[in-house]
Amino acid sequence: MTAGRPLVIETRGLRKVYGIGRAPLVALQDISFAVEEGSFVSLVGPSGCGKSTLLQMLAGLVPSTAGEVLVDGVAVHQPAPEKISVMFQDATLLPWKRVAENVEFPLEVRGMKVAERRKRAAAMLSLVGLADFAQRYPHELSGGMRQRVSIARALAPDPRIMLMDEPFGALDEQTRIKMGHELLRIWEKTGKTIFFITHSLTEALFLADTVLVMSHRPGQIVGTIKVDLPRPRTYEIIGSAEFGAMRNRIWKLISQDDREVIGEGMAGL
Amino acid sequence: MTVRRALTILMVLGLWEAVRRFDLVRPLLLASPTEIASALVKSWLDYVIALRLTAIEIAIALACAWTLGIAAGTIAGLRPFLSATAGPLLSSLFAIPLISWYPLFMVWFGIGITSKIAYAIVSGFLPIAINTMNGIRTVDDQYLLLGKAIGCSRRQIIFRILLPMAMPSIVSGLRIGTALVVIGVIVAEMLSSLGGIGYLISYYRSIYATEHVYLGILLALGCAFAANWGLGFVERRFTHWRVLQIEER
Repeated sequence: MTAGRPLVIETRGLRKVYGIGRAPLVALQDISFAVEEGSFVSLVGPSGCGKSTLLQMLAGLVPSTAGEVLVDGVAVHQPAPEKISVMFQDATLLPWKRVAENVEFPLEVRGMKVAERRKRAAAMLSLVGLADFAQRYPHELSGGMRQRVSIARALAPDPRIMLMDEPFGALDEQTRIKMGHELLRIWEKTGKTIFFITHSLTEALFLADTVLVMSHRPGQIVGTIKVDLPRPRTYEIIGSAEFGAMRNRIWKLISQDDREVIGEGMAGL
Repeated sequence: MTVRRALTILMVLGLWEAVRRFDLVRPLLLASPTEIASALVKSWLDYVIALRLTAIEIAIALACAWTLGIAAGTIAGLRPFLSATAGPLLSSLFAIPLISWYPLFMVWFGIGITSKIAYAIVSGFLPIAINTMNGIRTVDDQYLLLGKAIGCSRRQIIFRILLPMAMPSIVSGLRIGTALVVIGVIVAEMLSSLGGIGYLISYYRSIYATEHVYLGILLALGCAFAANWGLGFVERRFTHWRVLQIEER
């Protein structure tokens, strides 16, 4: 938002093609954008437009066909767990581990000492408000609580970037709104850079400094919306005229794209 | 509960004994509990030796079938191409009764302990391998991505994430495989062998000593129980979280 902050993520001409030979599928085409340090960027787009693929490319989990991803100016070719944490639609907690052990897991994997990782996990759990549930098993928690554990686990290695792939997509609306507030509170407290995928226009606008709008077939960025709403944001802001106008703009960008696709299809007949 | 169970068992035994005492069934068809007991008293040493051999065979075959089954299932589960081709092939191979292979096992391994163990391993291996493979393949891809994203090595992904996730499926494979291993050992002993519980059953059947046949069957049942008990131990150790999850519902 504020100009002059260093860029932490930068993509240049990213392209992803699936399948080779006669019928290659262009999943992503010419994706170029930049994310400033400490900012909150949302990515919205219709399902199947390649949002998740893009996120996995940012995380170094999936190679790109062309173009590059730079994190701190260095090209990403493989996961960088010390810099980047990833969250998924499901909380992906390990069901045989207690909540605290789940938060410790990424630290355990890299061989951190028990005492240190215990302390770190406890701190993260109190940050997400689940200190009392450290010794519970995941199945004893509600869906929203499980996602909060997942947030704590993502924060535990103290990464600079959090990539979140529709993390609240499987939650009911009320829980989802609460989780949005919770995430903003944690973001403001920790100053992480967050890249957040969603298909909810409202959620994207409510959370972010910048909303990237994606179209499908091939997936490409069709618009970038700066969200200059004041922070801290409250739920009422969603009803404001400013918010509505921005949501309409995003909707127009997405639906325009749909019309084109239908038009092409008709021409083909 | 235990009292009621004990009473039920006593009643069944009493009824069983009565059927024989009042001569309702010919002795060739049914031996009474007391007849079976006296058969054990009379030739207990034979049974101890036979039981020892059968137990050793089952233990070795179980250890091999479990290890090989889980290892092969894991390897196949990690490679989509392998599981897509090897799975149906193995299943169709085993569509014919496995016992028809037994003559070949005898040719390959002789009539000693080796052929029995080999036959039992092959019978128990398949359900274990297939269940392990399916268990690994049905783990949600998000867990794989998580493992990679937090910097797990391939080994950590397999041993810290995939295998534990697949454990409920693996254990149900072990349950079937364990039963088949016990059956495999007893059947192989009955077909061609000079020792073991299965051999005694087969031998006493040929001389019409019905009470000994029943005794052999009871001891074979005991072997199956013992193997299951060992399995229950593994199950409690590795899938306690699963049990908790189910109780919760």
